[in-house]
Amino acid sequence: MHLAQLKEDVATKTAAAQAPHGGALVRLLTCGSVDDGKSTLIGRLLWDAAGVTEDQRAAVTLASHSRAVNGERIDFSLLLDGLQAEREQGITIDIAWRYFETPDRRFIIIDSPGHEQYTRNMATGASHADVAILLVDARHGAKRQTRRHAAICDLVGIKKVVLAVNKMDAVGWSEARYREIEANFRAMAGSFNFAQVTIIPVAALTGDNVAHRSTSMAWYAGPTLLDYLEAVDPEAAPADAPFRLPVQLVLRAAGDFRGYAGTVASGRIGLGERIVDARSGLGATLRRIVTMDGDLPSASKGDAVTLVLDTDLDISRGAVLSEVPRRPTNADVIEARLVWLSETPFDPEAGYLLRTATDLTPVTSMSVSALVDFETLASQPAHACSVNDIADCRILLGRAAAIDLFRDLPLTGSFVLVSAIDGATVAGGVITWAQAGAPAVGDNVLVLDRALLARGVCSDLGDSPADLAEFNRRAQEVAVLLRSVGVPVLIEL
Amino acid sequence: MTQLTSHLKLLEAESIHIFREAAAQFRAPVLLYSIGKDSTVLLHLARKAFWPAKLPFPLLHVDTTWKFRDMIAFRDKTARELGLDLIVHTNHDGLARNINPFDHPPSVYTDVMKTVALRQALDAGGFDAAFGGARRDEEASRAKERVFSFRAAGHRWEPRRQRPEMWQLLNGRLGKGETVRVFPLSNWTEGDVWRYIALEKLDVVPLYFADMRPVVTRNGQLIVVDDERMRLEPGEKPVLRKVRFRTLGCWPLTAAIESEAADIDAVVEETLAAKYSERAGRLIDHDQAGAMEMKKREGYF
Repeated sequence: MHLAQLKEDVATKTAAAQAPHGGALVRLLTCGSVDDGKSTLIGRLLWDAAGVTEDQRAAVTLASHSRAVNGERIDFSLLLDGLQAEREQGITIDIAWRYFETPDRRFIIIDSPGHEQYTRNMATGASHADVAILLVDARHGAKRQTRRHAAICDLVGIKKVVLAVNKMDAVGWSEARYREIEANFRAMAGSFNFAQVTIIPVAALTGDNVAHRSTSMAWYAGPTLLDYLEAVDPEAAPADAPFRLPVQLVLRAAGDFRGYAGTVASGRIGLGERIVDARSGLGATLRRIVTMDGDLPSASKGDAVTLVLDTDLDISRGAVLSEVPRRPTNADVIEARLVWLSETPFDPEAGYLLRTATDLTPVTSMSVSALVDFETLASQPAHACSVNDIADCRILLGRAAAIDLFRDLPLTGSFVLVSAIDGATVAGGVITWAQAGAPAVGDNVLVLDRALLARGVCSDLGDSPADLAEFNRRAQEVAVLLRSVGVPVLIEL
Repeated sequence: MTQLTSHLKLLEAESIHIFREAAAQFRAPVLLYSIGKDSTVLLHLARKAFWPAKLPFPLLHVDTTWKFRDMIAFRDKTARELGLDLIVHTNHDGLARNINPFDHPPSVYTDVMKTVALRQALDAGGFDAAFGGARRDEEASRAKERVFSFRAAGHRWEPRRQRPEMWQLLNGRLGKGETVRVFPLSNWTEGDVWRYIALEKLDVVPLYFADMRPVVTRNGQLIVVDDERMRLEPGEKPVLRKVRFRTLGCWPLTAAIESEAADIDAVVEETLAAKYSERAGRLIDHDQAGAMEMKKREGYF
């Protein structure tokens, strides 16, 4: 957008309420296949909404004619062409990030690949989004892939979904066809936990109902896609959600300063309120909320702050500071639904670590109980899972961690699973059940500690970073061997 | 300021979160400080992330010895005023071989004095993580970059081995021989960087603002003569013109633009307008390549 125009727009809107602080940034997932016209839709959105300058218009118009892709029409997908070229170079199947803004809002477009085999990339992209646009071709309606996309959006916690019914021009702007697709999709969406489902008939090529209201579909009274995006509330959590702050690190400074640095994951907290460390159960009173711009009286979800308490709780990274009434579970056994991301399949004998908000906990044992079928959305009993699978599993932790259920608090109820051997992220998941008091594995757990390994297996290693990494690698490999013959192992280095 | 700024607080919080995750998970991080506008924002966000504690890592500047004098003065002033632990590294082997931007092609010069120099400095310091100011909006190949970008032994980037990043969970567990680049500004745009500099009233190198400077024109590019090492072609004579820089680097290789934007508000305005032209330039390039392909298929050549 030209700055002059931007200023004018802002000036006319200052009388109206400004967009709320939290609504200034919207993360938008787009999914659908190339055939559905996804590139054209995003290109059209950028073209009509985001302020493409005259020279850009001229270039795209010229390119459209020289390629004659759409006859005399403009090929809006050319606005995304840089990325398509990139795809051909081999970093295919990956998420691409794009940015645009309107006078009141900044949008992050997370463009995820449509192909079915790329579930993991779609799930990765979707985990960052506030809103998802699912694209379907009006001639074909919702397909198997649409159902799969909706299921993944639901899994990673997206609450607001738009079904953009594209190519309405190809079905003669038919209201009957739109109603049919709408009814089908609402029935499908009913099995998910979406808070808001909006179905918009569009024609990306002509721009109908993208940024400009269609004159060909007078029967449609709902918002255009851009109207929707400018109005949608990206916040999914209820206003009274419980307070959580996963501690990232402890800051120490001159004058005995000791503060817990982290980002508020949920709720709010004010000076003088009571806080509890979920793991130890110890409580304290909030004395200061420190930032470089000065102390704050309160902090809310999304704020990166440093908390100073009236008593020293002796906690470190991984602790979750909580309000007193509604605390996380101090759990050492969890059930979760996860998407397997690694090319290496799940191996019950391999060593894994559970990475929650800021904690890293060794996994004592893990088992898969079911795989989710995207055709029926039903779970089928299973014991193995591999790349792109969605699986239900049960995980026993080597020690308790502060954990919430994902459906209540997404940021403290989600995790990634990390390979203890090479550090790779092998799965991402949401916690569906958590409990303290795992059945004791008994006294026969072998604890592999530093002293034990240093005596023999690692006696040739010193203190250099390379040697420490090798020390860790050998420890994990020894654990794999022991687990494979049925010995429960806990590594404590 | 009338431009959209309320989203900057959200981007700021996200960047602070990334800084803290990296500082907590890596053994020996370092901040790559290149003195420009992105580095200025990066450093400011780092200070916010750890305040009131001191930065828990040093800054590293790779000095090719061909930076603008104003840049070096700004660097040293910043380090002094903020009490920063600044490491300056130059590839002395390259210097001894007199690798310079006049006698060597830019690719050779850049590889020896910047890329190799950076590797030397990272290896010498034993750093396992390096913060950089790269943004995903800079170019298409960056649009898919991770926040934690892993490098195999020898600092090689392998696109296929990059880790998926879900929610706000950043997995910093390193495999053997691996190091990582951390990009806290991933979701910022060039416009955001300038608006943030204006909003937070940050000092930047004066070269970003228009002023009368001695300029020679080569291949249509405006080169500002920064010191006596300039090699003038026969008949070439620097003339004073009102110019400024959009990016800063080694002065013989960095072109200025003619501009009247002499203060931060004017620069913000010019950047927001110019940004789109830059993108349009890329589109035109791409289209020419596409058009050429069509002609080839048609048997033109």
